[in-house]
Amino acid sequence: MDTLVNVAHGLGVALLPVNLLYCFIGVFIGTLVGVLPGIGPISAMSLLLPVTLSGTPESGIIMMAGIYYGSMYGGSTTSILVNIPGEAASVVTCIDGHQMAKQGRAGPALGISAFGSFIAGTFSLVALMLVAPSLASVAIAFGPAEYFGLMVLGLVVLTFLTQGSMAKALLMACIGVVLGLVGLDSITAQPRLTFGRIELIDGIGLVPVVMGLFGVAEVLLNTEQAIKRDIIKTKITQLLPSKEDWKASGGPVARGTVLGFFLGILPGGGAVVASFASYALEKRLSKHPERFGHGAIEGVAGPESANNSAAGGAFIPLMTLGIPPNVVMALLLGAFVIHGLQPGPLMISQNPTLFWGIVASMYIGNLMLLVLNLPMIGMWVQLLRLPYNVLFPLIILFTIIGVYCSSNNVFDVHVMIAFGVIGYFMRKLGYEPAPLVLAFVLGPMLENNLRKSLILSQGDLMTFVERPISAICLAFALALLVGPLLPSLRRKRELVALDEGA
Amino acid sequence: MSDKTDVKLRLNNSELWGGLIGLALGAFVIWSGLKLKLGTINDPGSGYVLFYTGILMCVFAISIIVAAVTEGGPTFASRWENARWGKPVLVIVCLAAFAFALEPLGFLLSAIPLMLLLLRVIDPVRWSLAIPLSILAPLGMWWVLKHLLAIQLPSGLFEIG
Repeated sequence: MDTLVNVAHGLGVALLPVNLLYCFIGVFIGTLVGVLPGIGPISAMSLLLPVTLSGTPESGIIMMAGIYYGSMYGGSTTSILVNIPGEAASVVTCIDGHQMAKQGRAGPALGISAFGSFIAGTFSLVALMLVAPSLASVAIAFGPAEYFGLMVLGLVVLTFLTQGSMAKALLMACIGVVLGLVGLDSITAQPRLTFGRIELIDGIGLVPVVMGLFGVAEVLLNTEQAIKRDIIKTKITQLLPSKEDWKASGGPVARGTVLGFFLGILPGGGAVVASFASYALEKRLSKHPERFGHGAIEGVAGPESANNSAAGGAFIPLMTLGIPPNVVMALLLGAFVIHGLQPGPLMISQNPTLFWGIVASMYIGNLMLLVLNLPMIGMWVQLLRLPYNVLFPLIILFTIIGVYCSSNNVFDVHVMIAFGVIGYFMRKLGYEPAPLVLAFVLGPMLENNLRKSLILSQGDLMTFVERPISAICLAFALALLVGPLLPSLRRKRELVALDEGA
Repeated sequence: MSDKTDVKLRLNNSELWGGLIGLALGAFVIWSGLKLKLGTINDPGSGYVLFYTGILMCVFAISIIVAAVTEGGPTFASRWENARWGKPVLVIVCLAAFAFALEPLGFLLSAIPLMLLLLRVIDPVRWSLAIPLSILAPLGMWWVLKHLLAIQLPSGLFEIG
């Protein structure tokens, strides 16, 4: 009953005209960046992080969340029609989605992808409403040792799932922690790694780092290649899937939804892992696995449902524990912090308007996306023809202005350009930026909780082992660190490794 | 083992250089941690986490170096194989010039040439589109920020904008 009252309260917030507008802008931009290959939700959210400053916290977060789940919808359009994933979570959709389009079934592929996404998005929101408050009430009892354990686990899982060498990913995470510690020490107020620069006393800003590593570096990488697009030219008709399509897709949508939700909650997981896992599951369960790769609708329905469900599930650790499970959520945490808010166990009770408003807006956003992605599909197809040689200079201009506006400081523009160049070389040498960014956000919290734990336990390291949650998290993290040394586990890791940067 | 992609103990092994840079950074972080004072385990100081993170960085960097030496790694040339490497270099040069010019020249005088250069560098856009776009985009942005959002972009020594 309480939940229903809270949802009604949330709907009251989400239906305010200004919040509806921000929600629409968010899902529209999300679909746009999902459709356009080369720009992912991380780049778009980092570009728009400064914009959240102009409105209320609810409006800003509603818009940022909209970009994330909106991009999950939009990504499938490019995968199906062009065979280029619009963003990383839609890589799997290319396999069968584009084959369906080649066979003249682009309509049902786009349709099942949108409907599956809607069903999964709705389920994950209902689960979020039911799980988050209960988890938050448990999380109130968490001490610094538990938080430390959870953060270490989150970082290790992300490094485990990052493409390429795990040592490189761990090195990136360590660099992220160090960058996060630049500025005044929160306990002793001693300046650290500031090199005498007054601009660094408050630390390095999240906005220039993320915009540089994802926005500028992405453009630099894209300028290397002449992007070729093979767009399906036939007219897209019959977007509503047939009875047979629904019969074939019902199971994959349901399984993808549940699987995606739980993988989304796990730290370091998220939409990309969920879509790959769902595809593998459907192929294994299918009576005709040989159809996969040749236009099986199950290969579109399952992964598309899974990535949307995971996008909803990923909000749970952020909203209830204050721990972002992936880079996108780290950016959202940045948006909360910019507004002076700290997500965590007390947020739901202290800021119910914000929490329930965001949840309700996500449902409205899902409805908007259904409209944006089905009747307006023609518009997105036209957008795929936008020339990149015009788009990329504009993105650079937006990043410069965005960074400057976030702090009114030219120094931050320099930081962004520097991180853009560093990010480009990092990617060329096989170092993924995702662990760095997550560690950059978690670094100060990680340090704070470690030092608090040690002070409270009078230097007894057993405090991390004696507390069950912290012990489980650290044991799991250790297993993941040691695991890749075993050849069979290393092969499995390579199979599920993801590219968060896309 | 081809000298193009999987070189071992050679100067053009990109993995080796990546590891060495990581090792140097780790050593610097350890030194910074020590300088800031470690404190004790009962009361960790400002340099405590930095020091141990630096040690971890060195461990991971050494494992990258060992892998580069024992298993080999791609050369720098192979990393940029089939890539138009000149394009990102030109964009980086344009951005560096912009970074230096932004404060003294102001936003408008530095952003307009930057846009024009970028439009002509990345798959050249025809002049008839590049010139108006490079003027109108920064000008439009500046106008919206100044007049609608009351945000002042740098106006430079000439106070333009």
